[in-house]
This record gives sequence, structure tokens and C-alpha cells, in this order.
Amino acid sequence: MEHIAVWVAAFLTLGIVSFLYKDNPWYKLSESIFVGISAGYWFVVLFWDNVHGKFWTGVFPPEEYDAAGNVITKDPDWMLWIGALLGILMLARLVPKFGWISRWPLAFIVGSTAGLYLINYFSSNMMRQVQGTIMPLFGMWQTDPATGEVMFQAFSTYDVVGNLVILIGTFTGLVYFFFSKEHRGVFGATAKVGIFFLMITFGASFGYTVMSRMSLLIGRVDFLFGTWLGLIK
Amino acid sequence: MRRRHSRHILLFHLFLFCLFLVTSSAIHAQSETPADTAAVDTAKVQIEPPTSVVVTDHKYDDADALELTWVPSVNDRVPGGKVVGYTVFRSINEREFEPLQELLPGSNFYLDESLYRDTLYSYYVMAYSRNDSARSVATEPVSPQREWLHVDRAWLFVIALLISISVFYFISAAKKGEDLFIRKIAGLEAVDEAIGRATEMGRPILYIPGILDMDDVQTLAAITILGHVSRTVADYDIHVRMPVSRSLVMTAARETIKASYQTAGRPDAYNDDMVQYVTDEQFGYVAAVDGIMVREKPATVFLLGAFFAESLILAETGNSINAIQIAGTARPAQLPFFIAACDFTLIGEELFAASAYLSGEPKQLGSLKGQDVGKFVAMVVIIIGVVAVTLGQAFDVAFMQEIFDALTYVFSTQ
Amino acid sequence: MSERAKEILVVGLILILSIIVYLGKVGGWIGALAFSPAVSIVVIILIFLALVWMLVRTLRGQLLDRRIVFLFVALAVVLPFFMSITQEIKISPEVQQLYDALESLPPGSKVLVSFDYDPPSAPELQPMAESFLRYCLLNDLKVIIMGLWPQGPQQADLALQAALADPRVQQKNLEYGVDYVNLGFQAGNEFVIQRMGANIESMFPRDYTGSAYRDLPLVRNVKNFSNIDYAFNLSAGYPGTQEWVQVAVDRYGLWMGAGNTAVQAPMMYAYVNAGQLEGLLGGMNGAAEFELLTGLPGKGTKYMLSQSFAHMVVIAFVIIGNAAFLTSGRKKQPLGQGK
Repeated sequence: MEHIAVWVAAFLTLGIVSFLYKDNPWYKLSESIFVGISAGYWFVVLFWDNVHGKFWTGVFPPEEYDAAGNVITKDPDWMLWIGALLGILMLARLVPKFGWISRWPLAFIVGSTAGLYLINYFSSNMMRQVQGTIMPLFGMWQTDPATGEVMFQAFSTYDVVGNLVILIGTFTGLVYFFFSKEHRGVFGATAKVGIFFLMITFGASFGYTVMSRMSLLIGRVDFLFGTWLGLIK
Repeated sequence: MRRRHSRHILLFHLFLFCLFLVTSSAIHAQSETPADTAAVDTAKVQIEPPTSVVVTDHKYDDADALELTWVPSVNDRVPGGKVVGYTVFRSINEREFEPLQELLPGSNFYLDESLYRDTLYSYYVMAYSRNDSARSVATEPVSPQREWLHVDRAWLFVIALLISISVFYFISAAKKGEDLFIRKIAGLEAVDEAIGRATEMGRPILYIPGILDMDDVQTLAAITILGHVSRTVADYDIHVRMPVSRSLVMTAARETIKASYQTAGRPDAYNDDMVQYVTDEQFGYVAAVDGIMVREKPATVFLLGAFFAESLILAETGNSINAIQIAGTARPAQLPFFIAACDFTLIGEELFAASAYLSGEPKQLGSLKGQDVGKFVAMVVIIIGVVAVTLGQAFDVAFMQEIFDALTYVFSTQ
Repeated sequence: MSERAKEILVVGLILILSIIVYLGKVGGWIGALAFSPAVSIVVIILIFLALVWMLVRTLRGQLLDRRIVFLFVALAVVLPFFMSITQEIKISPEVQQLYDALESLPPGSKVLVSFDYDPPSAPELQPMAESFLRYCLLNDLKVIIMGLWPQGPQQADLALQAALADPRVQQKNLEYGVDYVNLGFQAGNEFVIQRMGANIESMFPRDYTGSAYRDLPLVRNVKNFSNIDYAFNLSAGYPGTQEWVQVAVDRYGLWMGAGNTAVQAPMMYAYVNAGQLEGLLGGMNGAAEFELLTGLPGKGTKYMLSQSFAHMVVIAFVIIGNAAFLTSGRKKQPLGQGK
């Protein structure tokens, strides 16, 4: 059985990789298997987790026993019916005449998600980031661990440059995304610096993505030459 | 990518807020008490018990904590006193007291976390000497309380309110017809040029609105920009192709393009096949779009909306057929690929700005201006804060340091 | 011979060769390959010369077929697996920060590990997961595992098996439910985190194996994040580290670090910088550095040489690509901002 599993995995891996040469039936077969299995897998997971695991066991709680063998009764959670109802309304989309009904559950999702996101993003990505950017640039008063004396300690050049990059990058980036003023004169120049920082960030991000994709390839190579063919230690 | 599935799941979770009421908890003794270990010496070191043990509710929580304070034993008030430690004992729902936590001499506070609402807790504190112990009076049983408002986060509320008010103000200003200025966005001028190029070459325009549904604000922006594009398209009589991966997006896009053709006075030139639903499956959709690109060789490709791992595949295919490509997304991880492979990229918020600019819709304009207020506040605070803390630290200026402390307090969300 | 016939011939040859090697592996008459250091250096020099030759060709105006690029990247990834040379790994501050945080935890501390990824991202995150769990179990930290992605807990199970296979871990006779526990998957993304902030049991009434939460000694007294000493999130996208920071860290004050795929890592530096994350492992590099710090070499270290080689080849092709771009003069009509 183990032999069959490893051969199937190798067959499909090579099938997907063969696309690099050109589009071919082997690739198409592997891709279709992948798409089909993932769709089926998701259906099963969502069904057992939500419809059964949450709704069904919530509304009709199964009997449970404590350590002494006594039955623990759990009250059904009637609130779940509201969720179920909204879920059924979602299916109204299938009948074009009543399609508009599906907008109600959608509005519910959009509204509640927006509310949650507003605070999450506002507090984590704005407030905390502003707080994180406010820092001394050149040095600060610190207690010397050896003598216990409180004295001014200058940062290393590396740290000073790092702090300046964070400060200037954040500020000019904000200027770039400020839409109420034309990019002219000093403001325009600042925005230019901002876009310069953004481009460097994107470059770094691109590099990281290359690293990520390479890691995936390395993982597959390890499988092919190690697990499958046994050529790697 | 997960987001697509999450929509179906969210519903169920929203109702779990009223779920559990767990009434029992068995807190185990952490370890042996100091008394067990110090019974060798026979001469008793007698001590007085801790006094004034008070239990109060821990503020701004979901009823999970109580605060316990006491006055240490009189024998513990000088350094090197007789007391070697304290142990907090707790009883749940008036059952037996059990040791909960050992503390060092000099302690006068304990925060008992992970409690449950509607459960009664009472405590006493025992002081230990080497070989003796003295316990305080037990507190009355109390339950932890939950608070509706977290007053410590008032500043988060104030600043959120400030920005929200400015959003509302600008929306109403825009509705009254006031002219709200929005700067020119570089990519936008290219939109008409790119459409013009398709006209010259007599080839179609391909419009991809991302792979998320209508509940994503990026898709909404893409559909708004589509309104502008399709008006120009209707004027020039160019063929537009729009494969989509969501049924709702298909409906919305058809309505938008139809309206544009009607405005242009050529309703009969419109047909539903301009917008075609392909599949919800991410890479199935990508394969189909790639096929359309390679076969029909559009002169111009728009990639506006929410994109994930498919961004580079689409942009690279578009590049390989030498199409002019205009892209835009607010997903930072995908921007590098668009910038590398497309002629123009609307970076992050520029996508929404473009949508507001082209549509002139008060709600979009107002939100954009309101957010500018937020950015302005952030810029000012950063500059003031950095100057204050840098000078405050370098020259040891007290009031500068105070400004810094105040700003840190206001912007901390804990 | 037609093109189609050639292709079938090549595929057939690969198949036959694979069967022979596989039979050799099963029969034990073909072992692992390893190049001596001298051969390794010769291979490197040959690849370097080939790249220089390609650059020269490009400068003369002869463009490369893209499949050549694929072939070289493949070689750069495959060959280092057989090379017997080692690579120096430097520790970055975020990794050190994560390690210091872990070192500061007293034995018996409860560490929550959320596995928010699935098999496609496993090559990057699995090495981190394995070495992290191994470190925790060796240092008597109690591990509570969960997942916001359906396949997360399965990945956790694999990582746990790998960690428990370590002889030093085996000596500790660790017990499921007492020293480590796998709570399984829960759907609902950040709403799950939000609820956990109030009550973990409400989100995970049963663990991965079906035992009731309150029957597990390790978590019986864990009500919410205030009972967690440190948290670690392995994330490949949404929901992931960003959601953990926004909800668990910023609302509930959870002390946490993260391991991310390299695609995501740059976005997380802002959180490390603002003190919202205590330590970050970014991609395979991060895993290798963590393995070095903990003295537990694993897959991260093993893969690093391939990674570095692949990067060098990619850099070489970036140079060649730019050379091609400059020499061919293939530019689209300028439209302003552009590239």
C-alpha cells in the first residue's frame, strides 16, 4: 500500500511539473484530480464541521456522560436556528425570481465583518503602528546593568539608520497615500520618496516570494529524490 | 484564499457569543505548601495572620478575574521578618478551600484569572513562618462581573469617532454638491489611452475584477471603475471581454455595462455574453483566463480587484501577449508582481481613490477624505512624538518626555 | 522521428529509470548519493561557467528559451542535496527574539501553537513546526495545539510524530493530555480567536481525538488566553498571524511569536517592530536559524544549501534578463509611471 501511495504522489508531482515543458494531457489529468479532490474535501470538511458539528449537535445535543457514568444533559442552542435560516435564505439565489432574498444574509455578513474589521484594523494597523513609530532616534537613558547607574546611551549607527528608515518610510508613505493635496513642490518630492520606499518594500517582498516558491520546489525535490527514489540521505 | 470559504462559516460563529455556561472548575493545588517542608525545627516561630483581605472585581473583563488584596502579617513588615511566604486558598461555590497559589514574603496582591461568571469564589490567605502558619478570615463569596465598556480604551473610541465623524461630514458635503478635491492618480490617465490603443488595433479589452465576491470592497471598486471603462468602450464601439469567477459579480458587471451602453445611446450594441461566468475554483478560473488571453490576444488588460497567488500568472501571460496592462489591488503581497509585469499599477488605496474619482459618488469620496483626516492625524502625531522623545531623551527635557508619554498612552490599545 | 514520439520516448525512459532506482532502493542495492567536496566544487564551477556563457550569448542578442531557466533552477535545487559542503547560517534579530522568549519561559509553561496552514505550504512551515515542538517538549514546556485551517491539526500531528521520535524526547515519557494536546480544527477564522479570548473550551469542546476538553488535565484549567504563557502561530495566509495579532495580541494581550511563509513574512515585520509580535521565523531561512539556535538541526538546515543555490541562480537570471531587456531595446510605449 505504501508503495502505491508514494508512486501515485510521484506520478502527480511529475505531472504538474511537466507543465514547465508545455501544456500536456499528463498535466491536465493531474490538475483535474487536484481540483476535484480539493473541492470534494472542502465540501466534506464544511459539512461535518458546520452543518453537523455546529448546527446539528448544537440544536440536538448528543448525550454525554461524566466520569461517574451519569448522563449530562445539555440544553439545545436555539440561537443556531437564526444562523440556519440565514443560510437557507442564501440558497434563494438558485431561484432567479427570489434571488434578492439572498442579499439579506449577505448584508448580515458584510455588516458584521465590517464592524469587526474596523476595530481590528484600526487598533492593530493604525494605533499600534503609530505608537511603534514614535521612538527616540539617537539614544535614550538607560540603566547600566553593571553599575546600576542611569545614563544616556547613544544607539549604534546601524540602529540610528534603521530608526530613520522606519520614520522616513512611514511618514513619506503616508504622504504618498494622502489624496487631498496635489503632488507638487515639497509635498510632491516627499511623496516621491514615499513611492521610492514602497518600491524597495515590493522588491524585498518579491525576493521573499522567490524564497517561498523555491522552498516549495525544494520540498517536492526532497520527496522525489528522497522519499520516492531514496537517493538523498 | 481561505476567505472564500469563510463566508459560509461566519454565520455560525456569530451566534456563538451566547454559548457556554460552564459552572464547574477544579483548581488543583500547585504543589506542596511551605508548611509541609519546614517541620524539622521544634521551636515554634509564631506569627500573626494577614489582615484586611479584600476581594474586588477585576475591571473591564468578561467576568474572568478577581483581585485579592491584603495587609501582610505584622511579622512581615520589616525586611528579614519571620514570614517565609503566603498561600492563597480558594473555595468555589462554598465548597472546601483548596490551596491556589504560593507567594513570596511581602506580597499583598493576587490576581485570580480564568474564573467563570455566576460562580461564587471566596478566599483566605495563610502566612507561613518556618514551622508555623496563621490564616486570615475568609472573604464573603463573590462572583466576577463583566463590564459592557472598556473604559481604558476610551482613546481608541475617541479617535475612531473623530475619523468616523469626518467621514460622515465629507459624505454629506459631497452630497450637497461641494467640490471635494482628490489629487490626480497617475494610472487613471492611462486608462483612456489604453482603451484608445485597443480601438486603434481593433482588438478586444479584457477586464478581470479579481477573484473575490461582491462583499469585498476591492471588487466593488473594480465594478465602479468598470462603469467608467465601459462608457468609453460604448462610445468607441470596442469589444469587451469579462470572465468572472463569482455569479454575483457577473450580475453586477452585466448591469453596469448595460447601463453604460444605454447612456451612450447604443443599448442594442450590448449583449450579455460580454460578461461570462467561468468557475469559482481559483486555478480553474486562472486557466480559463489564460486561455482567453492567448487565443484572443486583447490589446488591453485590466486587472483590478482582489488577487491572490494568481496575480503573477495572469500578469505574466498578459505581458507575454504584449497587451497594455493596468492593474490595481489592495493586497500588498500581490503588488510586486503587478508592478513588475504591468504597465500601470494602482497601489493599495489608489484603487479606491480611482474608484471614488471616476464615479464621483459621495459615499466613496467622503470615505476617502475622511481617511485622509486619519492619515493626517497619524503624520502629525508621528512627527510630534518622534521630535518630543528624541529631544526629551537627548537633552533630558521633562515636558518633552511628558508629551511622549501622553501620546504613547493615547495610542496604546491595551 | 516525430516530436510526439520523442516526448513519449523521454517519458518512457524516465519511467524505466525510476522503476530501476526504486527497485534498487527497496532491494537495498542502490543507496543515497553523495558527491565528495571536490566533485561538489567542480559542479558549482560548471554551473557558474554555463551561466556566464548564457550571459555572453544574451549580450550578443541570442535570447534564451524559458525552459533553460527552469532547467537551471531545477539543477540548482537538486544538486546541493548531494553535495557534502556546509553553509554558514547567520542569526537574525527576530529569530533571536523568539528564542529568547522561549528561553525565558519556566518549565511547565503553557505554549499555544496554532497550525494555520495546509500541505501546499508544508515544505516551508513543517521544518519550523518540527523544531519548535521538539524544543518545547525537550524543555518541559506544555504544548497546546490547534488549527484555524482544516488540515492544520493533521500537519501538527505529523510534526508531533517527528518531534516525539527524537530519542531524548522519548526518554521523557511524555503523555498525551498531560504534556501536549491537539485540540483540532475549528472553523470561523478570527471569530474563533475572538471567542477563545473569553473561553477556549467553547471553541474546542473536544480535542482532535474526541476527548472532552475538561477531561484533559493539561487544559482543564485553561480558560482563556490569560492562562497561556506564550503562543506561536504557524501561518500561510488567511486566517493567520495578522488575525492573531489583531485579536489575540491587541485585544487580549497574548504574548506571541510567529512562523510565516516567506511570502507573508515582510508584512509581519511591522508587527515585530511595533512590539506586537515577540519574534518571527520567516520562511525556510527562519527555520534553519531557529534550528541552529536550539541546536536541533532538522529539515530547515538540510534545505538551506539548495535554497541558497537556487537564489544565486535566480539572481544570475535576473542579471541575464536585464541584459536581454537592455540589449533588445524591447520597450513598450512609455505611458508615465510604468515600470
